[in-house]
Amino acid sequence: MEATAQEKTKSGAVREYGEPIIEIAHLQKSFGSNHVLTDFNLSIRRGENVVVLGKSGCGKSVLIKCIVGLLSYDAGSLKVFGKEINQLKQKELDELRARIGFVFQSSALYDSMTVRENLEFPLRRHGKHKSKEEVNRLVEETLENVGLLHAIDLMPVELSGGMRKRIGLARSLILKPEIMLYDEPTTGLDPITAEEISKLMLAMQQKYNTSSIIISHDMHCAQLTANRLAVMIDGINYAQGTFDELKKVTDPKVHAFFLNSH
Amino acid sequence: MPQNSGKNAAPFWISAMPAGLKDFLLEVGDTSRFAGRFFREFLFPPYELREVIRQCFEIGYRSLPLVGLTAFIIGLVLTLQSRPTLVEFGAESWLPAMVGISIIREIGPVIIALICAGKIGSRIGAELGSMKVTEQIDAMEVSGTNPFKYIVVSRIIATTLMIPLLVIIGDAIALYGSFLAVKFKGEVSFTLFFHQVFHSTEFSDFIPAFIKSFFFGFAIGVIGCYKGYNSKKGTEGVGESANSAVVVSSLLIFILDLIAVQITEFFGYI
Repeated sequence: MEATAQEKTKSGAVREYGEPIIEIAHLQKSFGSNHVLTDFNLSIRRGENVVVLGKSGCGKSVLIKCIVGLLSYDAGSLKVFGKEINQLKQKELDELRARIGFVFQSSALYDSMTVRENLEFPLRRHGKHKSKEEVNRLVEETLENVGLLHAIDLMPVELSGGMRKRIGLARSLILKPEIMLYDEPTTGLDPITAEEISKLMLAMQQKYNTSSIIISHDMHCAQLTANRLAVMIDGINYAQGTFDELKKVTDPKVHAFFLNSH
Repeated sequence: MPQNSGKNAAPFWISAMPAGLKDFLLEVGDTSRFAGRFFREFLFPPYELREVIRQCFEIGYRSLPLVGLTAFIIGLVLTLQSRPTLVEFGAESWLPAMVGISIIREIGPVIIALICAGKIGSRIGAELGSMKVTEQIDAMEVSGTNPFKYIVVSRIIATTLMIPLLVIIGDAIALYGSFLAVKFKGEVSFTLFFHQVFHSTEFSDFIPAFIKSFFFGFAIGVIGCYKGYNSKKGTEGVGESANSAVVVSSLLIFILDLIAVQITEFFGYI
């Protein structure tokens, strides 16, 4: 049995994390001559929220797309629930994906479907045979959790940016995943809505007891949601620690991220 | 060390090829591979029957007003344009037969396929391009769905089945337009007009035209899906996908028509 990890919270209480569920070691990924991930290492424990910080285009999204098997990596090791992603067969990968929620940067709601159909889609596709009543109950319960039950019959085009993010989050949560991957969840939102989304992510993490990787360059979102931060620079995990620890780091490359944070 | 050790070097005839021709051949190769993948995915379960039916409705039923109106005008105009020449030669009674054969053999399938290339090809190209750009295809994959099967296979099946159906309906409407044009200029009954049309046509006029319309439908589906599925990032890429889906599928319809005529002639149906 893997040892658990402990963290002291701001209030002084000790929080315990479970076994590692994502283990990334020496991960490499290139697109032609563009070496995006050169030697990336990261480990995430059950119940932990990790924010990966980095400049735009540095490969943060590539990292989470590798985790969920949307992209294959060139070298290194990437284990999720102890399974090496590149070695999984399609069926095994689909089973694994049912345990992972993915919130896309653009929300990626299906334009031709209503909000209800968007939420029903993963339920139907992952082969979890449920009765119509149960599907309805799950959809309504999940929408209520993100505060958008009234939007159930709307089309994505009728939703605002913040609502789309919430629905995207609800669609990812409906299968009750153990891991949540967020790709820039607050990008393109006004500061108030961005804070609402960050708080919602945190509330959902506590409600569903998920572990999360949050890709962001929004320091306020990072401060609100992260138990730990990892700074990605030049394709490696350049520095990691809690928000307060990294804020004190004098290295200019790391310090640059904290210049405008309070 | 030499730059090119020779093992992976392209043969001389490829290196000497003009860049434009090389790009064209690469595009043809990629499209053929895409079509090959369609057959592989089409043959094996799971089958997305629900999505196929939805696409048949979207592609077939929603194209009906445009196809019907265009076919009606074509039948009407073709008859009005042909009539003076036939009258000059005292062959006015041949008008229903001539228009009937023209519409059933050639004008109906080709014009309706071209209209569908414009309406359906651009729709598929833009829709899939937009889905790619907004990560909807990735979201589908994460949801445990094979996006190629769900999006591409269903649309290609729908176009392959619906275009022949639209051609049959379009032919019937064009012939009715032709009948109205004849009736407008002289005395002819509905029964007499259609008796003359079907008296002068044989199964060998219907069958090749019907068969080639399946290929037209397949071409529209494959090109629309290929262009959309491989759309480049950004709104410009979506527009480009929609545009090239129409241009390439229209061109392909003419090429397929040319091949169909050669085959029909080879088997003695002309």
